[in-house]
Amino acid sequence: MAMKNVKNVNYWQVDHKIKNVSGQKGVIILPSPEAWQKFKWARKWFARKPKEGYFVWLKEQVDFPLTTCLTIASKKISQNLTNLLVIEKNIKAKANVVCQATKNNLCGTHQAQGKLILKDNAHLEYNHFHQWGSQDFVSPDYQFILGKNSRLTYNYKNLSPPKNLELKTLIYNDENSSANLKFVINGLNSKINLKDTIFLQGKNSQGIVRLRLVGRKNSQIEAKSEILAQASAKGHLDCQGILASKDSTISLIPKLVCQNKKAQITHEASIGKISEEELNYLRTRGLSEKEAINLIITGFLNK
Amino acid sequence: MLLEIKNLKVKGNHKEILKGINLKLKPGEIQALLGPNASGKSTLAQVISGNPKYKISQGKIFLGTREITKLSPEKRTKLGIALSWQNPPTIKGVKLSHLLEKISQVKNKKLDIGSDLINREINLDFSGGEKKMSELLQILSLNPKLVILDEIDSGLDLKRLEKVAKIIKKELIEKKISVLLITHSGVILRFLKPQMTNVIIKGKIICQEKNYKKVLKIIKRYGYEKCKKCKLLAS
Repeated sequence: MAMKNVKNVNYWQVDHKIKNVSGQKGVIILPSPEAWQKFKWARKWFARKPKEGYFVWLKEQVDFPLTTCLTIASKKISQNLTNLLVIEKNIKAKANVVCQATKNNLCGTHQAQGKLILKDNAHLEYNHFHQWGSQDFVSPDYQFILGKNSRLTYNYKNLSPPKNLELKTLIYNDENSSANLKFVINGLNSKINLKDTIFLQGKNSQGIVRLRLVGRKNSQIEAKSEILAQASAKGHLDCQGILASKDSTISLIPKLVCQNKKAQITHEASIGKISEEELNYLRTRGLSEKEAINLIITGFLNK
Repeated sequence: MLLEIKNLKVKGNHKEILKGINLKLKPGEIQALLGPNASGKSTLAQVISGNPKYKISQGKIFLGTREITKLSPEKRTKLGIALSWQNPPTIKGVKLSHLLEKISQVKNKKLDIGSDLINREINLDFSGGEKKMSELLQILSLNPKLVILDEIDSGLDLKRLEKVAKIIKKELIEKKISVLLITHSGVILRFLKPQMTNVIIKGKIICQEKNYKKVLKIIKRYGYEKCKKCKLLAS
């Protein structure tokens, strides 16, 4: 699971040690404690005085994706990260974040408090890939502040889940901004708690959340998704789960709060089992039951 | 014998659907199975291919000399049985090309099935004709010995029917792959000319006749409801 193309990683931290920080023209990348000292303006955005974590300030348009990687490689490490990503006006960016444990049995803790600021007209495609060991505790807590006309696409994908995942996401939308979120999580001997809230604060802002959750092998998943429309805005929640084992539970709790009579917010939620017909169909194509289940789940998570 | 079914009785939803089926199919032979709606045609196809939804209460199925009555569907497929489903389900989020990569036993199987079909999610918003083409492509990629075509001709206009029949001729019949052709209307028989035609009614094969034209003529004249009155019954 180790990072293969380290040269292309802009910030790489293993346990508590920084392996690589590489800013380029138009991008300032620093360890968060250093940014706290250097940029007083940034202090108001940090959730707290940082001990570790990364600071990324995208000042100019760049033609490559920003990549950060946070790794746990030793036993019983407890990372406590404070991250800040600022994208200046009119800039379009893509950022990939890899958070991982190198082994299955490290019993690590990864806590992250992050804030992402998209200034007016900024666009960000933000891809989180998580791969954890079966004994890890992971708790990312992210806030996104979306300026006027900004666009956020946030894909969170976790196919190798930790023992315990607490994922909290808050989005604040200003005028004409849009947030498109997708959480893809495969529960496997895991306790997973998701809480995401979109505050549609600006006129004509939009928010869409798609949850794709799979409960496999003794997993307890609870997802609370909320859209709060304070302005004439549009929002939609699309929460879907597949329960793939008898000893798992999925709870989906979509919540819509409308405080503006011109707003339109909707939701759909469903939890189902794997279709016997689909399973038998794929088995008549020569796939084993396990292979067929995996393919159906992969398809479900792709949607 | 490639396929031999002996006195097969099958239950589904606590009701007996197949009531003692006997059928023999030689290597390279094409046989048709005709019958009205709910006569047990598709059940027989699913049971031969091993769908665990159906419970066999009596009887045996052999592929060659091997008894396969209790084998899983995937093992039967590996032994050479391939079923083209009448109503294949949608597999959301999985492209046909991805499935073909996973199941294919044949290198670069290509058919003229329309350029974008394999890049679409399996059976999602496929037209009737596209579903049949997708089924054909899948079963051909399995390199089968025995192909069961369940209503491959249903819902197809004449042009598409001809196209499907042409593919079956070229890819199956000319390559001496055995085919069990299940059909309600029997239209496709004129293109494929089976060596034996069976008629199934209420879970029993009541007629086996070498001349498919005779069977079609009788069914056209009397309908399935009166099939038992037919002169061919004795044969």
